[in-house]
Amino acid sequence: MLRNRRLRLAVAIAATLLIAGPLVWQWQRSLLPDPYSIMDMGYVDDGGTGHGGHGSHGDSARTITSLVADPDRPADVSVTLTVRKERFRLASGREIDGYTVNGRSPGPLIEATVGQLVEVRLVNESVPDGATLHWHGVDVPNAADGVAGITQDAVRPGEQFVYRFVPDQAGTFWYHSHQISHEQVIGGLLGPLVVRPTGSADEVTDVVTLTHLYRGIRTLNGQENDIAVTIPPGSRARVRVINTDNGPTSVWVTGASARLVAVDGTDLNGPTSIDGEAVLVTAGARADLEVTMPAGGAPVRIQVGGALSVVLGSSSFDAPFASRPTATVDLLRYGTPAPLGFNADERDRTFRYDIGRRFGFLDGKPAYYWTVNDRLYPDVPTYLVSDGDVVRMTISNNSGEVHPMHLHGHHVVVLSRNGVAATGSPWWVDSLNVDDGETYEIAFVADNPGTWADHCHNLNHAVEGLIVHLMYEGVTTPYVLGGEHGNRPE
Amino acid sequence: MRKVYKVLAYVVAAEVVVQAMLMVWAIAGLTKWVNNGGVFDKAVMEDRQIIFPEILGIPLHGLNGGLIIPGIALITLVLSFFAKIPGGVKWAGIVVMLAVVQGQLGYLGHDLPAAGALHGLNAIVLFLAALHAGRRVRAVAGVDRRAEGEAVRSAA
Repeated sequence: MLRNRRLRLAVAIAATLLIAGPLVWQWQRSLLPDPYSIMDMGYVDDGGTGHGGHGSHGDSARTITSLVADPDRPADVSVTLTVRKERFRLASGREIDGYTVNGRSPGPLIEATVGQLVEVRLVNESVPDGATLHWHGVDVPNAADGVAGITQDAVRPGEQFVYRFVPDQAGTFWYHSHQISHEQVIGGLLGPLVVRPTGSADEVTDVVTLTHLYRGIRTLNGQENDIAVTIPPGSRARVRVINTDNGPTSVWVTGASARLVAVDGTDLNGPTSIDGEAVLVTAGARADLEVTMPAGGAPVRIQVGGALSVVLGSSSFDAPFASRPTATVDLLRYGTPAPLGFNADERDRTFRYDIGRRFGFLDGKPAYYWTVNDRLYPDVPTYLVSDGDVVRMTISNNSGEVHPMHLHGHHVVVLSRNGVAATGSPWWVDSLNVDDGETYEIAFVADNPGTWADHCHNLNHAVEGLIVHLMYEGVTTPYVLGGEHGNRPE
Repeated sequence: MRKVYKVLAYVVAAEVVVQAMLMVWAIAGLTKWVNNGGVFDKAVMEDRQIIFPEILGIPLHGLNGGLIIPGIALITLVLSFFAKIPGGVKWAGIVVMLAVVQGQLGYLGHDLPAAGALHGLNAIVLFLAALHAGRRVRAVAGVDRRAEGEAVRSAA
């Protein structure tokens, strides 16, 4: 009887351990050291070349602090951006608790011409957790990429940091903090950046349209109402839509013929009319729409997301509303083909970026997290490349939700979606909308040495583990995550 | 032990009711907000801000259903190993299984709305299974008291 009871107890304890053991083990394994280096994180995926790996940096190792724009060259565009955490007034007059750049949000428009050296001094006046500036979509030198804990330390209150870069392509970009970005970007630490082509005397009026949700308040350029812009009949406007939010939005035009002339700061080849179609602009992405005003002077409405619009007009701004067209411009087929500038078939590295979702622990906290190649952060791949490699990557999403995937420092070209090859204009992106059930094959030339984040621009998803890095052989970073600067890039 | 088992099983059942209430609360709040001119889209969905109070129902539903209910169900299962309730392990196991399936159906519903309908059906099944698990204790309570008396005597 006693033996029976002991046996029973032993079985009960064993069964308990069988349940609790794996949970405790997973919990314990998920705890992140503080500080830790991105170089020691996860595992190295060399893309099928069979070389590389942690500690393979050898004597020729370069630290990313040396990956800068020409330090002797004087700046062509000099800007000082002072950031604060404060209660501030939107352009609409409403008061918001958040973050400002030079006292406002969105921050000032930075304008430059291709080839100019842009120098931005970041001054942190009162952002307690520290701040950085990331130049979203600009392929800057790695030291200017602005990712706390990877390319620099978070700039603490009272400190400064200087970013220097030479934009090599004309287009629409934006800047935002990459320190605790899920809070600081949502709170308004961001602004637009437009790079113009050299020697353009184009008769096109620029309309920068930055959409942002402030604590649930939807705005265009900080306004809660439609933006009215005077454009004479028969002339053209380039509406530069910047989606700074965490989810994809849509843009559609009523009252005139429009063309989608650029995506993510890269002009499309042979753009045609997008009548009757909406343009999907994923989180972090940009879309430039060129509108030709009707000769009769009728106003034109460009709806962004459904709630707010840009209205172009001259005498009247009373343009009718329309519901979103059911059709969406498919960039896989839009425009006409053109040479990519490299041979995507002569690949040097091939990577797989599978996104999933499952229960697990991250730094001791249980939840449903995003996985990369079935693994949870930080046990995720680091994609290793060499300078000059042609890289192919297959991104597939079976996680149940859409992910706007953003690779820093590079533009990638879409080769196919769900096995269907791209037949339109070269479709270069830095922020790619990967819907649930979709598989994209992309390619790029690894021509910008450094360590680059490759993450979901739904910034809450990055916090939940959807972030990996692209690392160049022979490049090291002296910065750490956590540590005395409290570096938390997500 | 049995008492705790019983209470936890009933807590799981009550939690299923709370889950249903949270969702209807959130959806009713959303309807009211949209009726008053709010526009609900992906940007609002992903911003995770409390734009109207009832939207809290959604993250609370996720936290409750993703972690707390499966957690309570697991603890109930562990207790059942020690509690000597006829069918106790079996029913606690069924509750755990249904709670896990429920979470999976919930997440699956994000892209496959039909799975959301099954999520509703499975909620009822989970509710009944948790009630039944709790009632196992009541069925054996009399036997239990006598057995405990004997155990005390034989140990002495």
